Amino acid sequence: MTKILAIAWKDLRSTARNAPALAMMLLAPLALAALLGFAFGGGGGFDIAATKVATANMDQGRTAAGESAGAVVAGILGSPDLKGVLEVSKKSDADAARAAVDDGKDAVAVIIPADFSEVVYGSSPLAKTRVELYENPTQEIGGAIAESVVGQALLEFSGARAAAAGALALRSQGDPPAAVLAKTAAQQFTHAGGVTAGLDISQRTPQLPGDQNAKDVSVTGAILAGMMVFFMFFGAANVARTILDEDRAGTLPRLFTTPTSYGVILGGKFASVFVTVTLQAVILLVAGRLIFGIDWGRLDAVVLLTLVAAGVASGLALLVISLTRTPAQAGAIGAGVYLVLALVGGNFTGTAQTGGTFGIVQKFTPNGWLLQGWDTTMRGGGFGDIRWQLLVPLGFAVAFFFFAVLRIRRRFA
Amino acid sequence: MNIVEVQELRKQYDPPKGVLALDGVSFDIAEGEIFSLLGPNGAGKSTAISTLSCLLRPSGGDARVAGHSVVREAQAVKEVIGVVPQDIALYPDMSARENLVFWGRMYGLSGDALGKRVDEILELITLVDRQKDRVEKFSGGMKRRVNIGVALLHRPKVLYLDEPTVGIDPQSRRSILDGILALRDQGMTILYTTHYMAEAQELSDRIGIVDHGKMIATGTHEELVKVVGEGARVTARVDHYLEGMAERWREVKGVEKVDLEEDEAVLLTEDPNEVLPRLFEAAAAAGARITEINVTEPNLEMVFLHLTGRALRE
Repeated sequence: MTKILAIAWKDLRSTARNAPALAMMLLAPLALAALLGFAFGGGGGFDIAATKVATANMDQGRTAAGESAGAVVAGILGSPDLKGVLEVSKKSDADAARAAVDDGKDAVAVIIPADFSEVVYGSSPLAKTRVELYENPTQEIGGAIAESVVGQALLEFSGARAAAAGALALRSQGDPPAAVLAKTAAQQFTHAGGVTAGLDISQRTPQLPGDQNAKDVSVTGAILAGMMVFFMFFGAANVARTILDEDRAGTLPRLFTTPTSYGVILGGKFASVFVTVTLQAVILLVAGRLIFGIDWGRLDAVVLLTLVAAGVASGLALLVISLTRTPAQAGAIGAGVYLVLALVGGNFTGTAQTGGTFGIVQKFTPNGWLLQGWDTTMRGGGFGDIRWQLLVPLGFAVAFFFFAVLRIRRRFA
Repeated sequence: MNIVEVQELRKQYDPPKGVLALDGVSFDIAEGEIFSLLGPNGAGKSTAISTLSCLLRPSGGDARVAGHSVVREAQAVKEVIGVVPQDIALYPDMSARENLVFWGRMYGLSGDALGKRVDEILELITLVDRQKDRVEKFSGGMKRRVNIGVALLHRPKVLYLDEPTVGIDPQSRRSILDGILALRDQGMTILYTTHYMAEAQELSDRIGIVDHGKMIATGTHEELVKVVGEGARVTARVDHYLEGMAERWREVKGVEKVDLEEDEAVLLTEDPNEVLPRLFEAAAAAGARITEINVTEPNLEMVFLHLTGRALRE
């Protein structure tokens, strides 16, 4: 054990003295998360694709003309004028609409309540109802567009309600002239519209199954989690590459001439990689909390996810090293492997759970599982909610390490 | 008593078609002896060291170090050997002391014993004043000294040195050679590889000459020189009449053989001191003048040439 710690400590100290490596491991993910977070949060000059909106019109009411207020709102969302901005699909109920967002098929679900027409067209000015906007947190721009359109429709309904309420109030005092009625209605529309109307928007983001108290995930948090896992791979590769560096420098063969077993030497190397990326993750988690105010979730889940992510990164880094001959080869091949895994696993799209083909492909990568774990944890999930997001990557880590040890032993035996 | 016994050691890289680096090498090293493996680059010296260090698994044969087989008891062998590799194998971003402490731990030392031993080694390699400096700032000779110091940390019974003086200045070389002789005087057994004939001749109690993976001769310097079966070699040039002079020199007492090689005569004699004046007299008598004359005592270079038909430096 002393020898394992000695090897790990030596490598850690060497990494700590390597400023470029530290910058890559710590500053790059923070900077990228900050930049992408601001970009997603603040819009910008990007061309925006039409936002996919799922509508569930649960409105039961009807007007004399036969059209419900909910149908009017749904109709506005699906109008030809907004076709380039919103791509609307109708869902049978609220759960189906939310599921479409959960699966990543749609960015926003607009759920119109059953009593919508009753409140809008009803005689009670104090009646209230709420249209629900269920949003993917990383699709802030699309969410804002949908919110704006729905909000505008509700504002007009509110104004009409206010005007009608004012006119009714005057009628109760007698039979005022039409001009007075019109003036009062206009005043009610402009001064009271939307304030007393009781029509409101409720914004929500996807929640843990069965947990209605789940927290929202910040965009920066979602992105930093993706960047953290991605750069943990590079951090691990950087330390693991010392095996090849030491082989070339002659210190690894010399280690093999000491009364130190292959297992201890490899164990020391694995420990140094594991500890380095764990420290990297801890620093990023703390920095994310302090700089961006990210709530990572429950400590037990955060600790377990961090350790499993470090295990995956370490095992994969050793496997890449075992398959390559030179540090340059390891750098090139490793970068390719990590980039493909990140693209397939979804490191660049934050932690939001995706559906469809991408959601299936994502599950073939350890980082895909880890990102789902982070998403769940940031929403307040605990160990019970992420057991598969821990066990599957752990399986990957063990498999990577096993094959790496086989390869390395064969190579140096 | 032999502390190292090598029997028919074979090592082939990437069998069955790879290079046969060791081809049935056998030799013994007595306890407290300096045994040198002498041979040109690529002869198999480093492969022999690597195999005896348990770094490479032999393709055939075996070797016992302090009674332990390098094939079956690698861990026990590693306990009793210290290995000084040909290239500097240290951590350049660590100080001399940090390197010694780390390697000491790898040899199983710890605590006060480790600290005390590191102090002793730093004194031995005369780097006490520079112990906190990073190795990357050291000269080649200083790095070599630390490189050797690492192998001495655990007081090995047998020390392997693989060409430890390659590429260093004469002063550092002298210091290292003196250090090796001092270690031998303290009772340490040393296996030394070199392609420098003079080093092997100066240091070694016995020498093994290797070429193309085979041990072609072993023995003391004197024993090996006798293998050549000839005395000193005198090469001479004259201003004219070389063939005639060669005939006259064949008649000189003490000259055993005369050959003509291009523009010089090559003579063999057991006693050059006695023969040289006679050669000058014979030349004067023939009206010729000796313009250049060289005497070469029998040496390992000649032994290698005699055994392989090639010069050692080739």
